[in-house]
Amino acid sequence: MKLFSQFALITFMFVLAAHALLASGAHAKDIYFDSHWTLWQNADILIWTPDKEPPIDPKEFCLSLRRNNTGIGEPKCRLFGEWERDTVASRYASWLSSNMEPGLDAHYLKARHPAMMAKFQTLEDKIVLYIADKGNNLQVAIFDETSSEPKAAGTVTKKADKIALGDEIASALFDRHTKRRLTKEERLKMETEPDELYKESPTFRSWVGISAGYAQAQVPFTPDSWYRSHIKSRVGNYRVTRDSVSLWNFMDDSTPLFTLYAGGIWFGFIGGEIFYRYSNHDVKIDERDSVYEELDHWDFTQHEIGLNVMFSRTYAPIKWMDLHLFAFLGFQYSFYSEDIELKSSKKKPSKEYETRFKTEDPYKGALLGFGFQSVFLQHYGLSVRTGISSRGKDIYTEPSPDAAAEPTTIGASTVDWFISVGLEYHWTPFK
Amino acid sequence: MAALLFSGCAGSYQWSKSHPAYKKAPYGELTVTGLQKAFVLTRTKWFANRLDFGDSTQIKATEFCAKAMEQEFRGGYGKIIVLSDSVLDNAPEESQKLDDRIFMKGKLPEQGVVVKAPDGTIPEQILLIHEVIVGTDLKRENFFDYALIHNESEEKREVKNISAVISYTLWDNIKQRPLFSAVDEIQHPVIKFGLTDLEQLMRQTVQQIRKNLYQGVGK
Repeated sequence: MKLFSQFALITFMFVLAAHALLASGAHAKDIYFDSHWTLWQNADILIWTPDKEPPIDPKEFCLSLRRNNTGIGEPKCRLFGEWERDTVASRYASWLSSNMEPGLDAHYLKARHPAMMAKFQTLEDKIVLYIADKGNNLQVAIFDETSSEPKAAGTVTKKADKIALGDEIASALFDRHTKRRLTKEERLKMETEPDELYKESPTFRSWVGISAGYAQAQVPFTPDSWYRSHIKSRVGNYRVTRDSVSLWNFMDDSTPLFTLYAGGIWFGFIGGEIFYRYSNHDVKIDERDSVYEELDHWDFTQHEIGLNVMFSRTYAPIKWMDLHLFAFLGFQYSFYSEDIELKSSKKKPSKEYETRFKTEDPYKGALLGFGFQSVFLQHYGLSVRTGISSRGKDIYTEPSPDAAAEPTTIGASTVDWFISVGLEYHWTPFK
Repeated sequence: MAALLFSGCAGSYQWSKSHPAYKKAPYGELTVTGLQKAFVLTRTKWFANRLDFGDSTQIKATEFCAKAMEQEFRGGYGKIIVLSDSVLDNAPEESQKLDDRIFMKGKLPEQGVVVKAPDGTIPEQILLIHEVIVGTDLKRENFFDYALIHNESEEKREVKNISAVISYTLWDNIKQRPLFSAVDEIQHPVIKFGLTDLEQLMRQTVQQIRKNLYQGVGK
């Protein structure tokens, strides 16, 4: 154990020493700034200097680049004679040499002459490596077609050995990931392609869809205690529960949910949807109650139709997929159709059976939620939505003389949470 | 005190810009250019009614202002070299950004080309005067804020001040870079207007420039 810790300590010291060495090595170059410029594979590198003789040899520099950066492919390097012979360019080159200092950002080094700016714009994928002699150091800078200020600038220590100097410059400025250059056809295609950002949203987009989901009384991330009394409740004697405010006192709340729907949206912003929802709920009878011995099954089918208003926002993360985020708000009518049957052996139902609870027709409710539609290839959509929906009835009804004799009407306020996944077909009927 | 008030009022704009390499304000010696063509007189009629220049108020008043300004510069620096405006004839007009909406236009010498004095010497720094607008109750934002320059300025009946709006650049002639660029606004109250007021206005203008050149160092 002790041996191991000693070994770890020595390793640590060694790493520290290596770092110190590297740091002292870094003094040989001093890069003032280096922005995100693109280094192309098989790059064309033009060496531009205001001095009489370039301090590096273009061919040797190409080899240095290949040694230093394996991803660079086969670069071509040559002296940039056109600019060295040009008055405007050579004036800017000497100006740059006297102005490049640590602490000055790229925009202080911008070429101001219109003719010089035009020269930068016509570079077309070529990378200009500027090298100027400054006593003990060489000033180096990188230019490309995207800007008339240097993309990177700094100094490296001057060396008589051209190969070593080339290696130094290659490691100082060209040590980065390379990108494949576009071919002429690809470039032309890129230029003629419409910009995705400016893609027009259709005036109207419509869809039909079918979805399957799940609904339950409890809204996620809310305490159980809010629902416990409703969920635990059982129906005694065909009609008796602790309270009748929620339908979930009588029926099973957690069920599969199926929806058919159709909708449309204007300008990808405001729209509407009409829907039909179906689910089936068993009545939660109290099994201990002997009155149910006659009963074969008892359940309710819930049919809901409604209308949503929706607000949407469209994103295009990938070329062949549109993502529409939306929120919706709507109202619905809920109908319950009862399915009850006695055992075949039982000829006449009990008195309790005759006075069992009844549901209102219809319940009115609201729903609220959000979701997204991801539409592939402009037509095939996958949609996920979640929300809460409610069903209620008017509490204040006309009093009638035989109200007491009528069975209790139930479900003044029934709320549930739902989530569903739908398959959709989208189309734009008119542009 | 007045300067304090001004800087307080114009707090929403940045009216000057220093290069990181601006380390020393000109002292004792100054080379100036722009004194010939930079002057513009606005509300010529108002001035013509009060000055005895006949039909050529515009020309004579601006000449008078240029002379007064040169005079004041001579008083402030031991040695003044005035270069002819033609040294910048071939330079393109460029704009320098001082603030989000403040752009200052003017000719600057080309990169890589030094400006020589007539005697062949090369001045280290040159004060380039781009534009001097002389008028009544002028506000510099109306001339230099690009959101306001197209606004029609209201013609005020009552003149409170005569004013000068001046844009200038202190140019590093050796390294061809702008060391300090600014737009100044000078107001001089009018009681009974005469040529001495115009002279006074120019005097205040030069004082303001000198002050700003000092304050701009190392900013």
